[in-house]
Amino acid sequence: MNRINWFGFIFISPVLIMVLLFFLTPVVMTAFFSFTNMSTSTGIKGGEYLINQETIKEIKKYNIQNDTIEKLENAGYSINEEGLKIISEKYKESLSNEIKSLYFGEKFSNRKDLERALKKLKKNKIKKTRDRKEIAEIFKESIINERFDSKSIFEENLIKLEIDQNDRDVIIKESYTGWSWTNNNFKLIYSLPSSYKFAFYTLIYVSFTLTFNVVFGLFLAISTFYLPSKTASTFRTIWFLPRILPPVLYVLMWKWFTWDTGFISQMSTYFGASPKNWMMDSPVHAWTVIVLINGFVGASFGMILFSSAIKAIPSSMLYASEVDGANRWQQIWNIIIPQLRWPIMFTTAYQTLSLLTSFEYILLATNGGPGRSTEVWALAAYHTALQNYAGNLQYGLGATYALVLVIIGIIASLFYLKFFNFKDLVTKPRIEG
Amino acid sequence: MNIKKIVIAFLITLLSFSYAIAKDVKITVWAGGTNEADYYRMEAIKMAADILTREMAIQGEEINITVEGKRDFGGWGEFKQAVTLAAEDGSAPNIVVTSHLDIAPWSQAGYIVPVEDYLDMDAWPLNDIYDNLMEIAAYNGIQYGLPQDAESRPFFFWKEYLKGIGYSDSDIDALPSKVASGDYTLANVLEDAKKAVSMGLVEEGYGFYPRVSNGPDYAQFYQSFGGELMDSASGKLLLDKASMQEFYQFFADAVAAGVTKKNHIGTDWGQWYNEVANGKAAFWHGGTWHYARYTGKEGNDDFFGTIQFTLIPAGNDRGRANTITHPLVYLVTNQNDEDLQDIASQLVKIASEPRINSLHAIESAHLGISKQQSNVGLYANDQWAAEATEVLLGSANAQPNHLQYGVFSEAMWAGLESVWTGSKSAADAVNDLESELSSKLGDDLLVR
Repeated sequence: MNRINWFGFIFISPVLIMVLLFFLTPVVMTAFFSFTNMSTSTGIKGGEYLINQETIKEIKKYNIQNDTIEKLENAGYSINEEGLKIISEKYKESLSNEIKSLYFGEKFSNRKDLERALKKLKKNKIKKTRDRKEIAEIFKESIINERFDSKSIFEENLIKLEIDQNDRDVIIKESYTGWSWTNNNFKLIYSLPSSYKFAFYTLIYVSFTLTFNVVFGLFLAISTFYLPSKTASTFRTIWFLPRILPPVLYVLMWKWFTWDTGFISQMSTYFGASPKNWMMDSPVHAWTVIVLINGFVGASFGMILFSSAIKAIPSSMLYASEVDGANRWQQIWNIIIPQLRWPIMFTTAYQTLSLLTSFEYILLATNGGPGRSTEVWALAAYHTALQNYAGNLQYGLGATYALVLVIIGIIASLFYLKFFNFKDLVTKPRIEG
Repeated sequence: MNIKKIVIAFLITLLSFSYAIAKDVKITVWAGGTNEADYYRMEAIKMAADILTREMAIQGEEINITVEGKRDFGGWGEFKQAVTLAAEDGSAPNIVVTSHLDIAPWSQAGYIVPVEDYLDMDAWPLNDIYDNLMEIAAYNGIQYGLPQDAESRPFFFWKEYLKGIGYSDSDIDALPSKVASGDYTLANVLEDAKKAVSMGLVEEGYGFYPRVSNGPDYAQFYQSFGGELMDSASGKLLLDKASMQEFYQFFADAVAAGVTKKNHIGTDWGQWYNEVANGKAAFWHGGTWHYARYTGKEGNDDFFGTIQFTLIPAGNDRGRANTITHPLVYLVTNQNDEDLQDIASQLVKIASEPRINSLHAIESAHLGISKQQSNVGLYANDQWAAEATEVLLGSANAQPNHLQYGVFSEAMWAGLESVWTGSKSAADAVNDLESELSSKLGDDLLVR
């Protein structure tokens, strides 16, 4: 018994690894990201400590001593013994002496001024701009615009400027450039009116596409069932095309079909109608096209499942019904459909979950338009996290959108498992005669 | 024993010798938003590498720089993803050519280093670059990048249709100054576009034929109605509700009047270029670089005979005729290697020489970045560069380098989209925009 368990584990291990790698890891990462304020500007790997004009503006909002701000803002560059000593050690003594003779005791408010002063050296000309900047940095007293990668060194520098404990804490908090933990993303999504729209659009998308998938898949399966087997398989192959075509190509063909320079418009101009964009003309147009685009892809899935299920119905039942004088319609309604209950339920469950998270066809077709009226939840997550014309991508907020989907998905799966009694479904074949 | 020693000694000399012969440096350049005509964005760095190699050789430093350029990124979105992910991974290219708006987030994240750490900003050629362009490439008072090109975004008129609705040649010539002085406004645009459509000069929806996707262009219309993007006193992003609403309403009116298509957004760029370059639309707006596309790929042989260009007209009394310049910048990325960063900075400096930059400017129909370019024959003799600089660049402003500007810009666009396509009224869209921006930006937003 033990050994069998062990074997079982080995056999299932590839699946376990896949689940771990492609499901659990992303979910855990998404959950992790969603509790952060991560964005392009915070980076992903953590941050540094940096005081710049922006930080000073932020710090001023706190109740902080004026003295502190002054120490931060007004400190500049000063030519002192300490710096000169470093110069003579690191570079040349003559350089240190020349700087001393020209500028000892002087203060410069910014680096540019000091650099200009250093350009005036005669005997010890500093040729490289970079060296001049390095030498200037040695006389620096201010810590503005300097990046510190460790908190302790940063704090030491603040202590050197004689900034007191309370103010130091504020400065450290505000000058950190990396991400921090927060639950603001959830609050934000809850408070944004657009979130409710995305949810509503997702509901439209899933319910309409799903209905189309199942009904049309069923129609294809049944209609091809009554065709001679060769013709049937040709038809099935044709209807399978949307699924095997690369999505980009498939959607491009839809664009050629629906846009104002496309097939429908060309044909309708023969009848005097002016060309119009049948995909983007109004939200209703866009939704119709999106449901069709996704529906044809999904229908082929239903078609395959239902076809094989219909084949499993014992033909004796169908012959018997014909002997009893049943017409096609009665056969479908009373024999085929009832036997397809489980495949239909399975397709429904499976497609709901995959539709919830799928957005690639919408992205390619309408990109959420016209006027964001086809922006489903998953697409909003993508746009927030990975698309921003002006550069600051909001990974944290995007992940929060995604996490909400994961949670809904898990709840829906549990519900389906319970509702359809999947245990029964997998233990005993239902269609066996 | 001896042989072993000799071999080791030989190997060591060989190693040190080969090291001394030439240091190999590989510099990669990634350029976003770069079309065929913009190849000098990478080529200029290669030319700079040649010059730098020679300069260093004369100073006794043997260095061998190979430059690799890449410009195929799909769109801006893909490019920005590629750069940020590469930077996180530590494999960022040495030099990127990108929008100046990226400076704020990328500098904050530590992806880029200030070029001012390596370059003498008082020296040639940097001291000749226009101050306003230099400022656009700086953030928090630090010079992070160098402007790579300048451009601006004019309003275009198809001359034949202007004549068709009753303009004389002298009226057409006077149009740029009438727009600049505010005598010709967006209301006139709408009126004239209606005429062009109703007289059958252009098809319905082609009276006013705007840009097909989000971009800096739309901020211009907000400015036309008196909006400002940033409050200069507080440094906060500014939502001027009245201006925003009028700006949205203008597009709703254009759709209602049948001069602009309701489903215009998302039109294929290739189709769009071809149509505007060949007189399918009466009025539209674009960028100075469109000149290269219209006269090149789209085959308009008589640009100046067929097209008039002006600033974006004012919308109301509070607004002004304006244009936004959205220069691309050269940025040097953080490689944790001072030498590499130094070399990359030197390269972008040399690439900014007037003569080299003029190659890009003229080849791609962008505008120059420095004053001396008007003394470079190639630049000075080009009618488009000369005229566009004169009519447009003086009134050009840029979008603010602000960390949250991306959120602002996306939300503003989403609002416009919803009004344009008729799913919301302008007033509703502005109210929604206000609540969206207030919760997303909080303290970074000022509502007026």
